[in-house]
Amino acid sequence: MTIKDKYAFVGVGLTKLGKVPDFTPEELASQAIKLALADAGMKPSEVDGCIYQQGMGGGLSDAGPLLQAGIHASMIWQVASLGSYANVMVAMAISAMESGLCHTVVLTHASSAASRRGGGMMPMMGNSTPGAYGWYGPGATAACIAQRYMHNYGLKREQLGSIALTLREYANKRPDAIMHDRKITMDDYLSARMIVEPLCLYDFCLVNDGAVALIITSAERARSYKKKPVYVMGSGIDHSLRVAGNSSEAIHHFDGFIADRAKEQAFKTAGITLKDIDVAEIYDAFTIFLLSQLESYGICKKGEAGAFVADGNLKLNGSFPSNTSGTGLSWGYLMGFTQLTEGIRQMRGEGGACQVKDAEICLVTGLGGMVDNGSAATCTILRR
Amino acid sequence: MPDIKKQLPLVTASNQTFWDAVKRHELAAFKCQDCGALYVAEVDCVACGSQQGEWVKLSGRGEVFTFCIYHQPFHPAWQDAIPYNVAYVKLAEGLVLMTNIVGCDNKDIHIGMPVEVVFEDVTAEVTLPKFKPVEK
Repeated sequence: MTIKDKYAFVGVGLTKLGKVPDFTPEELASQAIKLALADAGMKPSEVDGCIYQQGMGGGLSDAGPLLQAGIHASMIWQVASLGSYANVMVAMAISAMESGLCHTVVLTHASSAASRRGGGMMPMMGNSTPGAYGWYGPGATAACIAQRYMHNYGLKREQLGSIALTLREYANKRPDAIMHDRKITMDDYLSARMIVEPLCLYDFCLVNDGAVALIITSAERARSYKKKPVYVMGSGIDHSLRVAGNSSEAIHHFDGFIADRAKEQAFKTAGITLKDIDVAEIYDAFTIFLLSQLESYGICKKGEAGAFVADGNLKLNGSFPSNTSGTGLSWGYLMGFTQLTEGIRQMRGEGGACQVKDAEICLVTGLGGMVDNGSAATCTILRR
Repeated sequence: MPDIKKQLPLVTASNQTFWDAVKRHELAAFKCQDCGALYVAEVDCVACGSQQGEWVKLSGRGEVFTFCIYHQPFHPAWQDAIPYNVAYVKLAEGLVLMTNIVGCDNKDIHIGMPVEVVFEDVTAEVTLPKFKPVEK
């Protein structure tokens, strides 16, 4: 039995992204859920499941946002706050529907990262061995990966910069992108302040408020709603790093993320190959994460991703159009939902000036966790 | 406002031996008796599944595996340390440790740079292993 094409996204709800200090994460989530219901033309009573993901600062309760939107769900699950989890939530929703726990699930994520700083991935108080060495935030992991890549393959800053510029160009064409009105040049990139060297300001994703809600249901039910369903062809999860700290095995990810099993699961279920992908939305908490995954998924050979991005292959007219909203670096960061949301929009033909013409199949990827505490590569394959 | 101090390492029952050794200015690791994999805590071996291991002394010599330089503080206690480095050092025995490189400019740190352990007594009770460059 396969899950291929058995479930489809029917509703997308997005709040304003950027600085939205007047609303709590809970209120933002509730707004997003209402927008998703309206987008689908669905009544609140038709949703019976919810999976939600906190933003970095937390703030979401189990049923709060649902009740404000008039939903009385029988199933509510919470997942970890990592970039891998949007795709995991798709797999969880499908598993829940396959097993009969529920028939229609809303996936939601809300963040007040810009207005209510705090939280974060590393403990800031009490004892912490990484903290004793001044190691805070996933940016250091990204910087250490970039350092290795520069050493092993001669990656140039201009090549990372070309990712930042390509994504910014996409965002400049998308009215709802946070960086819609702000252009950048290679000179801007090269002269930007360093955050964690060798990565500068433009290598880091945005820090913003905002919420998203996506509604997924069975293919049969999906046909009765307003929007054209976007089907899930395949789903893959790979916790390839089995190590919970302290082993020298943990260094593997400094030389590139491993996504073998995620890729194999998803593509096998979907019954397609990389050649069938028309558009990709690749998790981009940092430029180097996007670059590294081009190799993890076999889009480039090891060591060739730098030249690949600098040659413009990720652009709309390139050989592998990717991250078409400007995603985490320039559109808005909603963990892995940034990619999943844009993937669904591309499959609906809602990409506006960044729509990949005649696109039928989309690869969405996610990454989560850091080098020392395990990490996961995840993906979803969507079709229109 | 109280003085914000840098965090101290998290010492637990499983890694007490590592931190006790560091306090004596020795570097130790927990070695799997079956496959030889090294850890800084008493754990079942994630490489082979063995539950047999013992603490061994390490040479303290190795090389920089990767590193980064913080130009922005992510914790108030590190404000005055900017710019500072965080590195992963791969020891001769294969163990990789998160650490800071001391005794050289940040701009001189490079992957493959030979280093050896130095012990920094950060409080009366706590010592941190750090690494300094050496001639190969």
